[in-house]
Amino acid sequence: MSDREVQDSLIRALADAPFRASPEWRQRELANEDRLDRFARFLARHYYYERLVQFYRYSRALARITGRGPEAVLAGPAFDRLLPTIVLGSRDSGLAVAELATTHLASGRTSAIRYHDDLLQYQRAMMVVESGARLWREGAAVEAPDPRRSLPVKVEGTMLLELRHDLPAVLPLLLREWTEVPDAPERPTTLLIARSAHARVSVARTTTTIATVLELADGSKSLDDLARGAGLPPADLEATLQGLVEIGAVRLSTGS
Amino acid sequence: MRKLMVGAFYNPHLGRELAAGTGIDHLAMADPPRGDDPWWPAIRERYTLLLHDYLGQLSEPLDETAIQRARSLAALYRTPWVAEHFQCLHTEDGTYNLNYVFPPLYTEEFLDRFVANANALKVRLDQPLVMENIPGFFDVAASRIPEALWLRRFFERTAVGFLLDLPHIWLEAHYHDVNPRSFLSDFPLERVVEVHVAGVEADRDLEGPWIAPTAPSDAMLDFMVHAVGRCPEVRAVTFDAFSPTLTSDVLFSSVARIRGALGN
Repeated sequence: MSDREVQDSLIRALADAPFRASPEWRQRELANEDRLDRFARFLARHYYYERLVQFYRYSRALARITGRGPEAVLAGPAFDRLLPTIVLGSRDSGLAVAELATTHLASGRTSAIRYHDDLLQYQRAMMVVESGARLWREGAAVEAPDPRRSLPVKVEGTMLLELRHDLPAVLPLLLREWTEVPDAPERPTTLLIARSAHARVSVARTTTTIATVLELADGSKSLDDLARGAGLPPADLEATLQGLVEIGAVRLSTGS
Repeated sequence: MRKLMVGAFYNPHLGRELAAGTGIDHLAMADPPRGDDPWWPAIRERYTLLLHDYLGQLSEPLDETAIQRARSLAALYRTPWVAEHFQCLHTEDGTYNLNYVFPPLYTEEFLDRFVANANALKVRLDQPLVMENIPGFFDVAASRIPEALWLRRFFERTAVGFLLDLPHIWLEAHYHDVNPRSFLSDFPLERVVEVHVAGVEADRDLEGPWIAPTAPSDAMLDFMVHAVGRCPEVRAVTFDAFSPTLTSDVLFSSVARIRGALGN
């Protein structure tokens, strides 16, 4: 085993609590288990602190009204109970921590914030979509598949959010200075949240047509099928798909 | 004592205070500026900016896109040097990521990797490269070379600068129950370009101290004066606190205390 492989097993042991508890890891005796366990708990709290601060930043901006900050959950017993199951960066762990934060924030003083439910749904989605393994290197350039001969597939984790309020209109205002809570227009709004292979999360307002394209993009339908299903001219569909590929919502499969 | 730059990290939530503040010579940039940061233009205009830990880990070769991004940020900041960490915090396949500083195994294989990748990087940068030491909370049996010796050999083979993180040294000494000044004396201090200073607080998981967004203690400042006196090429001391919970009072008063302790 190379030293790089040994380093990888250490990193995995620190990131992956079930692996850390397994005989496979324990029998290797690479480090003092008590010290490693403590450091792993420290890392888990740090990891999710960074994410809660980033993805729930609008709730942090509202904390003086609601009396709730998202990061408070990391000091509570519910997070301690999650620790033996946590795998840093996994979608399941991201979802579990996001649920803790969402439940905590929902119990605050939220009556003055009409769009609070939408806001929690949005922040939870951002945190969950960001999770998952990522590419750290751009790698060698590969030729993109020809869209006309490809089968579009919605990337796992891509989310469509149906909101009752126009949340994008109020989000920037929440991060500025305010005395009265900024309001959001009550207007049905659909947002697409996607993540690139390098874990860059993108949010875009979307339309029924784009939602239909995403729904149909299951890897079995050709571009002609999608164009017919979404009611789009082929050229428009290609442009739409190009945008969806760029933000990581769709990948083009060349089939097997 | 010679004149040093004394600065801090740019914390965007303190942008207003930093844009108008005095007594700070430079700001280290841990993240690229956000497009919606209203204070960024004033910060860029006012301060010497230091590009800090943008690329990540040098245990693997850096790809062209990452290097181009680093080069463009270095130009945007007009940074006098580019800092990276002696860290290896994600697996080679990207599946696991600690998202926090974690040192490599101190072995010949990792030395060769870091030397090769640092040498490849430094020729692509228009500014000197400096590398920051990272603390280990626990010993690893497979790590076979003492950290200070490993770093010394790295600097001999790359001729890059050393960003000496003093709290990291202090923590390692604490957790190994050795005197911090003795522990420090083995490190290649003649290579030091920049020194980091920070506060520490008790951490519930570690059951001991760790870096925190708080003011450095008197003992830490004494340690800093001791270290700076042994670093003939040092040019800057930075208050190393980057956190949304950092307050402007702590930031400005810490920089002032560092400056006072250095007689600057």
